[in-house]
Amino acid sequence: MSLAGALYLSAAIFCVGVYGVLSRQNLLIMLMSLELLLNAVNLAIVAFGRSFLAAAPDDPSGPQVLVVIVLAVAAAEAAVGLSILLAVYRKWRSANAGEIDMLKG
Amino acid sequence: MDAITFYISGILSVIAAVVIVTRRNPVYSTIWLVGFFVTISIDFLILRAPFLAVIQVLVYAGAIMVLFLFVIMLLNLQPDELVETVTRRRKAGAALLSAAIFIMLCAAISQSPSVGGAAPLTAPLPAGHPLAEGSDTVAIGESMFQRHVLAFEVSSVLILIAIIGAIYLAKKRRPAAPLRSASPASVDGVRPEGALEPHPAAGHAERALAAEPVGARHP
Repeated sequence: MSLAGALYLSAAIFCVGVYGVLSRQNLLIMLMSLELLLNAVNLAIVAFGRSFLAAAPDDPSGPQVLVVIVLAVAAAEAAVGLSILLAVYRKWRSANAGEIDMLKG
Repeated sequence: MDAITFYISGILSVIAAVVIVTRRNPVYSTIWLVGFFVTISIDFLILRAPFLAVIQVLVYAGAIMVLFLFVIMLLNLQPDELVETVTRRRKAGAALLSAAIFIMLCAAISQSPSVGGAAPLTAPLPAGHPLAEGSDTVAIGESMFQRHVLAFEVSSVLILIAIIGAIYLAKKRRPAAPLRSASPASVDGVRPEGALEPHPAAGHAERALAAEPVGARHP
């Protein structure tokens, strides 16, 4: 089990997330795909931190602090995204990104 | 042993991710999302980050997943509202694009000399590592509140703003109050051209109007 293996796994999850954001119209599932993206990045950060421990001997927990902060950003993003979804649903009675096309030229 | 567990949980997490983005009903996606978060948490355990594994389950599988379920139940989407109108061509384009990103990432990973020459993830921990002496929670706390305290403060401000924004966005709007029949100069604080300096008395009246809450005049 090498660093490259963990990075391949992270890349695979990231690409599935990209496919989810691009191919779905349900706003809830698009938000879940964003969570997939953030988790893939977290996995890559932790794997890098585990592998390059010798590079920063005085701060071995730095990558994990970064992951905790990404987690906070993810929580904020989910909260704001879901409340935008609620506001959109109140106005258009739909959670489908294909029907919300007021800005379409 | 670690490697086998890692590969199994990796395969499971990719399967869970694929299921999440392909279900029509978001409730099933949410349930699979829990499984996905658990597999990522297993990966964190194998990568010697037990604190993050616990936080992953607590924050993601506990809090964010419940948030998603709340919103799903609140919206109460009917089966006919879940129908999507994505064309086959657009789906193929999305698959092609994400496959291209995957191939490019794999090429970058396989050709990077620093990744190829990195220590294996199963290498023993160095002597001074916090996990070799017990818990990594203390080390994460010290690192977060000393070396990375600015990032920590910025993220706390971000969360505060997110709370305020979420409350504002999700709040039910009351019907808009009727416009006040004041002079046009006092509507939004911008004076029309030609009205350079209002009469002192008028200025007082304006300030009194501005200080008065809207709801007090038009309940």
